[in-house]
Order: sequence, then C-alpha cells, then structure tokens
Amino acid sequence: MATANLHARVHATTVIGRRVLAPGVIVTTLEAPELARATRPGQYLMAIPPAASSAATALAIYEAEGKLASILFFITGRRTRELSELREGDRLDVLGPLGNGFDCSGGARDVAIVAGGVGIASVLLCARTLLGGGARVRLFYGARTRELLVDAQRFADAGCELIVTTDDGTLGRRGYVTDALAGAPAPETIYACGPSPMLRSVARVAAERGVRAQLSLEETFGCGVGGCWGCVVPISARSAQAPSFPPPELGGSDVLYARICKEGPVFWADELRW
Amino acid sequence: MVTLPKIAVTLGKLELAYPTLMGSGCYGSGEEYAPFADLGRIGAIVLKSVTRLPRLGNATPRLVHTPAGMLNAIGLQNPGIDWYLARELHKYAGRPCKIVGSVAGFSVDDYSYLCERLAARDEIAAVELNVSCPNVASEGETFGCDPALTSKVVRAARATTDKTLIVKLSPNVTDIVTVAREAEAAGADALAVINTVRGMAIDVETWRPRLGNITGGLSGPAIRPIAVLAVYEIAQAVGIPIIGQGGIENLTDALEFFLAGASAISIGTANFTDPRIPERISAELQDYLARRDLASLDEIVGKANFALSTADQYEGDEG
Ligand SMILES: Cc1cc2nc3c(=O)[nH]c(=O)nc-3n(C[C@H](O)[C@H](O)[C@H](O)COP(=O)(O)O)c2cc1C
Ligand code: FES
Repeated sequence: MATANLHARVHATTVIGRRVLAPGVIVTTLEAPELARATRPGQYLMAIPPAASSAATALAIYEAEGKLASILFFITGRRTRELSELREGDRLDVLGPLGNGFDCSGGARDVAIVAGGVGIASVLLCARTLLGGGARVRLFYGARTRELLVDAQRFADAGCELIVTTDDGTLGRRGYVTDALAGAPAPETIYACGPSPMLRSVARVAAERGVRAQLSLEETFGCGVGGCWGCVVPISARSAQAPSFPPPELGGSDVLYARICKEGPVFWADELRW
Repeated sequence: MVTLPKIAVTLGKLELAYPTLMGSGCYGSGEEYAPFADLGRIGAIVLKSVTRLPRLGNATPRLVHTPAGMLNAIGLQNPGIDWYLARELHKYAGRPCKIVGSVAGFSVDDYSYLCERLAARDEIAAVELNVSCPNVASEGETFGCDPALTSKVVRAARATTDKTLIVKLSPNVTDIVTVAREAEAAGADALAVINTVRGMAIDVETWRPRLGNITGGLSGPAIRPIAVLAVYEIAQAVGIPIIGQGGIENLTDALEFFLAGASAISIGTANFTDPRIPERISAELQDYLARRDLASLDEIVGKANFALSTADQYEGDEG
C-alpha cells in the first residue's frame, strides 16, 4: 500500500450536484480536478466544516473522474447534516486524498468485494479498477433494508455480479452479508468496507478460506492526517503498516497501535490484532 | 513603505517569528501537516510528549467528540527516548519553524533525564515539561497538581539545560496560581496555560464509558473560558511569559488570551477543524494591530488585566 498523503493538499471545491439516494443518504458531487486526478481507490478526504466550529469530517471518496469527485454519506449527526445542506454553487474546502487505500495490483482474476451500509462509498473506485483489469468482481452488498441498498444498480452497470442481503429480508437474502460470502465459492482475494462486526466476520471467513482480505476500517478521527494518534487499531509489529517502534527485546511489543487515518484506512485482515 | 506591526515574540531564549505554537500531541512531528499548512508561517511545533520507556498507548476508543470540544486519552503512545533520538528526531531538522520538545515523566528523575537528553539535540530549540502525569513514588499523584512536586521537577530539569524551559500547567487543581509561582521560582522560562481538563463520557446504550481509558482530557472551545481565567490570574502573579491555550480557533479567541496576559498562544484541537487556522490567526492579528496603529503585539498583552477584587471585597462569582 502506497505512501499515504503523498499527493494530499487543501482543495477549494465547488458543489456541482447533489443526489438523495434514500432518506438520509446523500451523494454530493464536487468540482475538484486535482483531487479527482490524485485519488486512488479506498482513499478519503476531510471536509472542513463551512462554519468552522467542530472537527473536520472524514468521508470516503466515492467517485473520482475527470474534474469531479463525489462523496456518499449517511446523515448521522450534526456535521453530516451540515454537509447534506450544501447545494449547487456552495464552496467546500477539503483535505485529500488521504490514507492508504486498497491495493488493486495483485492481479487476482476472481475477487469479492464486501460492503455493508455506508461502506459502499469506499468500494466503487476499487470495483472499477479491478473490472478494468479484467477481473471477475462479485459484490456482496448488505444493508438494513431494501431502500438503504443504495446505488446497487451502478455497480451492476459497471459489471459487478451482485449478491445482496438485507437484515429484514426486503430484498435479496435475509441476514448477514458475510453469511452470503461464506456460502459462495471462494474468491482469490477479498476487499471489504463496512461496520466493524461485519469486517471481523469477513476476516474470519477469509482466514477459514485461506484467502487474504483487505479491510477498510473506520474509527472516530481527530486530525485525520496522522497528527494525534487518536484513531488507532492494534496490528502486528511485523506489518509494513506498523509504526516506528523498538523491537520487543528493546521494550517494544509484538502488537502495536497503527493510525487508521495514516497507515490505513485499509489494512490486511491477517495483520490486524483486534 | 508601511512597516507591519511586530508579532514576533521571544519566550526566554526562544525566538519565534510568529506567536503561535502547535499544541503537543495535536500536530505530530509537523510532517503530517506539511501538505496542508505553511510551516513557515507558524512559530513552533511542540512535539508529542516523549517518555523514558516506550509506551504502547491506551486501549481504544481514544477520542470522543463532545459539544464544543473533544475528549482524548491517547496514553502518551511513543517509542521511548532512545528510539526517538536515534530514529525519529533527525526528521524534524530543517523545518522552517522552531521545534519544541515535550517530555513526560513518572518520577522527578525522569524529567531531568529526558530534559537533558532532548535539550542536548540541535533540532530542539526549547523543552516543555508536561507535568500532567502521575508520580509513581507518591501513589500516582499528578506532578502538576502539587506545587512542591512541580517545584522539584522544574528545578531538576532546569539544572540540565540552558535552553528555554516551558512548564505546562494542568488546570485540574484547586489553585493554579500557586503552582505557577512555584514553577517560576524553580526556574521556568515560560508557562503553558492550560493543558486539558479531566472529563468523561458514557454510552447510554452500552452503559460503558466511551473512552477505552474511561477518563480523558477535554480540549477545544469548551475549555476556553477556563483557560482565559487561568491566564488572567497567573499573569498577575508571575513575571515570565505565558503561552495561552485551550480552544483557540480564530483571531477573537486569540485576542482574549493576549489581553488576559498571554505573550503567545498555542493551537491544538483547532488544527483538526482546519490546518490553516494558525497562519490565518497570525495574518489577522497583524491586520488588527495595524488598524489600531499599534507597532507590536506587546502593546496588547495583559491589557485587560486590571486587578481582581482584593480578598476583603471579594463576594464570590456570580451564580
Ligand atoms: C489528541 C490530543 C493529544 C494531546 N497530547 C498531548 C501531549 O502528549 N502532551 C501535552 O502536553 N499535551 C497534549 N495535549 C494537550 C494540547 O497540547 C493542548 O494543551 C490542549 O488540547 C488545549 O488546547 P486546544 O484546546 O487548542 O487543543 C493533547 C491534546 C489533544 C486534543
Ligand atoms: S485521527 Fe489523528 S492520527 Fe488519525
């Protein structure tokens, strides 16, 4: 996974579109040519609040094409509500693209992408890149209910095979998306983003199948750029993503806390010690 | 040609081109912020506190956003002084601003040992003592909460270096002014006022504390009035410069601190909102002084500082 934040900077963007995908689910499109050009699959941005009085908000970069980049988010609190109110012509300053995203260079021919809820926002670019490389991509997509399975058609149009699940059975199979994954023929590799119980299940299924998985994690962020060590996850000290730390014989440890915002947000499932 | 008002400041021997220091633990090594902020337009970066031994840091979650601020309990994650000096510190050389080291200890000896080793390095222009740590020798009492212990720590550290020594005071005390006086008497060159305020938050669904460490330190605008008062009172009791901090997000906030008696300010949590805030504050500060025909920042420091009511007049605070 590449060196994080190498091409990151502050971008002054303009909102050029807004789609409501479902109640409380918004896609906001930004004119941000340099951001769009620099973005790699699985990276995110920090949106600077228009009325600067709370921390910036970390948001996955959903699409990045030409001059445009978009963010897909659920309204979950005050900060996302503020963002949801942005309309065409409004300005939004963002930091990005941030973090180490998905490594799509493995050359796998048969991959599974697993997305739960708002996790779908992190995997569209990943799906497109893998499809563009000629891979077969199965998207295992789970949500609480039918209407929250947002933008599924977009993935189908892009060429993904869709396997959908809902908690209430209103569309697709009823139950967990990871059960669908466990019951399907094993892929060569797995990419996943979603709530942490889902990611833990993905890690377990991947281990049982002997398949490596890349997980995009989420945590409460402070700075979002690696400055505060507030967003960590325990990881093997031998991982390339582990922080600089003395070895165990010099007072170190086999397990270290890595920053999700900087070393991540994508980690190899078999290197996490959570 | 119009000369711009002077906003450069000197704290002890530490000369800063801008009166802004980036709060310890909030700004990494500076490298993290270099893509987003002009490090040539800030005064100094105060590095994350370093300890004698490596520390893994606290269990997660380490952060909780709260109204007008945030709680943190990072647990001083750092690789320990040996690794830090051998593998990390050289990366900070060549920054266009000053670098202030921060040390945290669990014994008086830790502070003098760490201060001596850090101050010996050319990359380090000054050392800040983070005294908001428990003293292992006295049942975990916080150094900065006891004036006598603070005095011992500062004296021990003072003996090891001629570089500027900043003592960062904890607000979690009954009488911060007494601690400030002791720190000055023990040889501090400047005081950082204030560190975070203790607090906690509870998840009412799971009935569990929301921080892995249970308790944490509150920062951001929520603590600003507490910090302004501390600066105001301390400014009347000591002669050394004060670095005001706690929830500074814009020029107005910064001015409150200068008027209360701070010679410089530190910005921590506001960098999480927008990394351009420190340079913006400096630019706007210069405009503010120019509009008032003031030649220098010095001219406003402590100007709100008329005497607090004397003891026989004091009738308590309102409410
Ligand atoms: C995430 C975080 C980590 C911090 N770590 C340290 C630290 O290691 N040492 C220290 O002296 N202060 C630390 N602080 C305190 C800040 O440097 C600063 O004094 C305090 O947050 C008040 O200023 P602010 O409201 O501008 O953030 C930390 C604060 C935060 C929010
Ligand atoms: S949020 Fe600050 S280090 Fe990750």
